Amino acid sequence: MKDPYEVLGVARTASAEDLQKSYRKLAKKLHPDLNPGDAEAEEKFKEIAGAYDVVGDAEKRKRFDSGEIDAAGAERPRQSYYRDYASSEDNHPYSNNSGFADFMDSEDGFAELLRRSARAQANRRGHDIEYRLPIEFVESIAGTNKRLTLPDGGTLDVTIPPGIVEGQVLRLRGKGAPGSGEGGFGDALIEVEIKADPSFKRQGDDIYLELPITLTEAVLGARISVPTPTGAVTMAVPRSSNTGAVLRLRGKGAPRHAGGYGDQFVKLKVMLPKEPDPELEAFVAGWENGKTYNPREEVAT
Amino acid sequence: MKLSRHEFLSLAGMGHETLTAWIEEEWLIPRGSAAEMSFSEIDIARARLIRDLKMDLGVNDEGVGVILNLLDQLHGMRRKLMDLREVVRTTPSE
Repeated sequence: MKDPYEVLGVARTASAEDLQKSYRKLAKKLHPDLNPGDAEAEEKFKEIAGAYDVVGDAEKRKRFDSGEIDAAGAERPRQSYYRDYASSEDNHPYSNNSGFADFMDSEDGFAELLRRSARAQANRRGHDIEYRLPIEFVESIAGTNKRLTLPDGGTLDVTIPPGIVEGQVLRLRGKGAPGSGEGGFGDALIEVEIKADPSFKRQGDDIYLELPITLTEAVLGARISVPTPTGAVTMAVPRSSNTGAVLRLRGKGAPRHAGGYGDQFVKLKVMLPKEPDPELEAFVAGWENGKTYNPREEVAT
Repeated sequence: MKLSRHEFLSLAGMGHETLTAWIEEEWLIPRGSAAEMSFSEIDIARARLIRDLKMDLGVNDEGVGVILNLLDQLHGMRRKLMDLREVVRTTPSE
């Protein structure tokens, strides 16, 4: 941050009156609301207002002069100015057309243009309104119907198509803000936010799931029930299936743009019983091959 | 955004009496009835502008009214310019 005295163009010894005078002179020139078309006015004004916030106050000025505080962070935060609203809409009580009303009454081409713009304005289409809609992962794959409750208490029924992805925007025609005259309604734009799922992950059109199986199922093979976003299906686990083995369920993934479906990949994870099992311990203790086979052949030593 | 009188006062950082005086001057024009006024963002921004004019710039009450009136005419013309730009843009040139 620059030296506040320099910003305000006064000497460090300037009197409080001179400081105020100098600030007012600059502010009259630079206040964003007195310069509605100057995009840079806000930055310039912030600087001088911030400087005046520090040295325009007798107490703060004393602390600044003695080095107790610096001018950093003194920039005046401010969200918006009158100019941000006054030109952008005309349905506010302050709108005033007397600055050009006489132009509209004449018979030349320019008046015709003005009248046409007034008609266009009278029949302007309504704004689009944006919403965010969180849905479950499973719903994003299978599709669903949702009802949004609007701020005004109304509701909006939204059909989520199967296979929708994070950030996709659904457009509901005519469900936005009302327009003026014959302008009609704007659209509702619904951005879908997919909640993370503890089990399913999606990559492209494929879905990944890690599935715990019992030791018995792993060793002997089995037909087991596997959840998919569209419901459980039966899957054959081949005998001697290891942790990390990946099985494919064809066509159980997300719908593809071009038609058809991706796959679901199921990664197996062999789980021992939660509690130590004496029978299992006794069996494994007497299992000869279990003492000699090497699962770490490929692990560098 | 629709704000009650109470919400407006706290957001704009001003007191009841000041608000009453500014409404009487027609510097602020709330919607709704006198018993149940409603405000929006533009009123907050306008109240801040009035405060800046009076406090920061040292404009007196007569001056505030004149400035607001001219500013609103300026914004009306800016609005019209924007509409004209739209008409010119969407009109095929011959």
